[in-house]
Amino acid sequence: MSKKLYFLMITLLVALLAACNTPAEQPAPAAPTETETQTETQPEAEAPASSAEQVNLRVMLVDYIPDVTDVWLEQEVVPAFQEEYPNVNVEFVYVNWGTLDETIQGYFAAGNGADIINLGSEYVAEYGDRLAPLNAQMAEWGELDQFVPATLDTVTWDGEVRGLPWLTAPRAVMCRTDTLTELGFDGAPTTFDEMIAVAEAGTIIENNALVRQGFMADGLLNNWQEYLNIMNSLGAPLYKEDGRPNFDSPEAKAALEFMNARRAAIMPSDTIAGLPEASGSRLATGEVVCRWGNLWGAPATDDPLWENISLSAGFTDGTGEATVQVFNDWLAIPAYSQNQAEAVAFLQFLGSAENMNAYNEQFGSFPPRTDAWFGYVDNPIMQEMGRLMNEQGVGFADVRETAQLRDILVAEIDAYFSGLQDVDTALENINSQYEAVLRDAGRID
Amino acid sequence: MQLTDSPKLFTTMWAIGTILFILVAGYILASVAKFVIRQQGGSRTLQEKTFLGYFFASPWILGFFIFVLGPSLMSLYWSFTNYRISEPIVWVGLKNYSDLMQDNRFITSMFNSLYMTVIGVPLQLAAGLGMAMLLNQKIRGQTAFRAIFYMPVLLASSTAVLFTWRLMLNPNNGVINTIFRWFNETPLYYLNASFIFLTELTSALLVALQIRNFTIVERILSNGFPGPERVPLWLGSEGLAFLWNKPSVVVIMMWSAGAMMIIYLAALSGVPQSLYEAAEVDGAGPWKRFRHITLPMIAPATFYNLIIGMIATLQIFEPAVTLVRDGGQNQSLYFAAYYLWRATFRFNQIGYGAAMSWVLLIIVLMMTFVQFKLSNRWVYYESE
Repeated sequence: MSKKLYFLMITLLVALLAACNTPAEQPAPAAPTETETQTETQPEAEAPASSAEQVNLRVMLVDYIPDVTDVWLEQEVVPAFQEEYPNVNVEFVYVNWGTLDETIQGYFAAGNGADIINLGSEYVAEYGDRLAPLNAQMAEWGELDQFVPATLDTVTWDGEVRGLPWLTAPRAVMCRTDTLTELGFDGAPTTFDEMIAVAEAGTIIENNALVRQGFMADGLLNNWQEYLNIMNSLGAPLYKEDGRPNFDSPEAKAALEFMNARRAAIMPSDTIAGLPEASGSRLATGEVVCRWGNLWGAPATDDPLWENISLSAGFTDGTGEATVQVFNDWLAIPAYSQNQAEAVAFLQFLGSAENMNAYNEQFGSFPPRTDAWFGYVDNPIMQEMGRLMNEQGVGFADVRETAQLRDILVAEIDAYFSGLQDVDTALENINSQYEAVLRDAGRID
Repeated sequence: MQLTDSPKLFTTMWAIGTILFILVAGYILASVAKFVIRQQGGSRTLQEKTFLGYFFASPWILGFFIFVLGPSLMSLYWSFTNYRISEPIVWVGLKNYSDLMQDNRFITSMFNSLYMTVIGVPLQLAAGLGMAMLLNQKIRGQTAFRAIFYMPVLLASSTAVLFTWRLMLNPNNGVINTIFRWFNETPLYYLNASFIFLTELTSALLVALQIRNFTIVERILSNGFPGPERVPLWLGSEGLAFLWNKPSVVVIMMWSAGAMMIIYLAALSGVPQSLYEAAEVDGAGPWKRFRHITLPMIAPATFYNLIIGMIATLQIFEPAVTLVRDGGQNQSLYFAAYYLWRATFRFNQIGYGAAMSWVLLIIVLMMTFVQFKLSNRWVYYESE
């Protein structure tokens, strides 16, 4: 037995020595600054920790452009923040969209995780009360009125702001005006009938393959999102007053029938091969006449080609006002966070006009706050997109049980578009399946 | 300062704690094993050997209990609950299982897996065997050829390779359809047209069975026999192009049949040459030798490949997220593993996902059991 004990002792010793080899690096306690002295006078519950208390703030972000935005955050933003809050150590956890959901769910399951998390447009309904309510802190900050109203819709739940919009990608209709003129149209289509006429006239098929498409909505992913936008434009809410889905409304049917008629106009036969894999913007290559989407699928905003591209909100049946769907990533503070005050401080620091402008310029997106529309946003295309977003924007928000609704819509809309079912069956299926999902989730009785 | 304020210190303490836990738990486990041996009257040497054996095996044993058995039992429990992360767990009995039986997406994923099992696996077996037969020939550079033909197995599921396939399979200007178009200008076009007609009809039949509506089959028939302008609509996303999504995956499966090829190669090398020589003396031609000697002698390899191939069809995942979006138009690439992942991590329904994983396990066990029963009729083992 003594041999075994000797063996155990040696193993333990090796383990302990190995651990001692990597001592934890702690930032030296910083001297109190004027700012800290001020913050110490704030109410205890809301004030960031005093300089004596070292706080480690974890921020989970989607790393869209590795080695660019992350470098900027770590080398410029954090040091600037630490000048004001030297006791707060900011640690970033980078994820991508493929691992975002799993990561967040892990955090909430454990009740422990990043103090600030990156969420997508439709997430507020999913996480709602599990995110810290921030109305009081944001009112004190006083800069929320600078934000585009539609972007605030995506971060608001139960009357409380739950985070800060971080980047914005509005979706609008872009058309090649030179092609429209060639085809005999006066301007960009705005109504269902006009759009279908453009889709028909603008589509070219050669050798049983598409050469040009009169309209493109960027495939399956956008179908269901555009569908919700068109319903919105027709004035139909997604839910009835009792919380049940509204897909049995006449507007829901009109929107879906329009989309199917437009699809049939660009794909008149089952046997036609679609467009080749995209090599750059299809608007630039002339492969499509009109498209609905964000600016990433369009030519660069300083491209002279924009002289021949129009920008408009969307389509209606000729009665309502078309809406621009506003998607944005946003940053929220989970309710489990033990560092709420520091997280709010960092969020507000990140959310300054300068930081928002700098980040969105690197990413090529739109700053959610209007006073950040300078520099690269001083461009006629960006300004016009900004105007549309500000005046006709509707946040892609309060979509309950989004992931399941998305699957239901994609499946049922596809089946209708493929001729496997008629429009009434499709809508009936959408409504009944979604209602069951909402019921299972406890959102309706 | 709290321990959690320093990630490095926190991680270090966790590492030390883990090592201590393994040592202590291993010591307890080994002591229990030793105690059992002592109770059974084992010698002192055997007791010592047992102690050391269990002690050194304890990291794996503990890992098995903590990371395999524990989660498995937890998932079994969760499958009877409505567990959604950070919400109270409520016992719902068999509800998740009964919901699954009425879930269109689950039924779709089963039909998709059925297609791959009935169409994809036999074609993959044929491709694997064909390659093995070729590479079993004694030619120069045999080893290099074997390595090259095996390489797709390593690459098949990688995103970059799947993207390459997406480009190659583009119906409009992909290299594969360029070849088809070239053939369409020759008298061989009938082969192309027959292939297109049969593929669309087979896929349409499966969809019709699934949705219990044969309109889609009528549409294929009313389109008539394809003309010389037609090409396969691989990975298409409009109209009836979705019928080509599963055949596209079958093509990739055939290309990556190297794992089956290796098994077949090993089996082929075990077929006694004397059997072929005797058959040749009796006047048997190459086909008869293949049919009556090779196939029966490599039947255990075919059996193994068949089981593995069938199980793999339930686990197809990467093509559903890389080749198409959201499982493809009309959920044509919605496979069981993909839906399991969506239900668990996208819909946040841990209990439902757990139930699905147990149903899949039962399906795999049943398939294997049936195959083992059937194998008595066609698998020949030399030792028998």
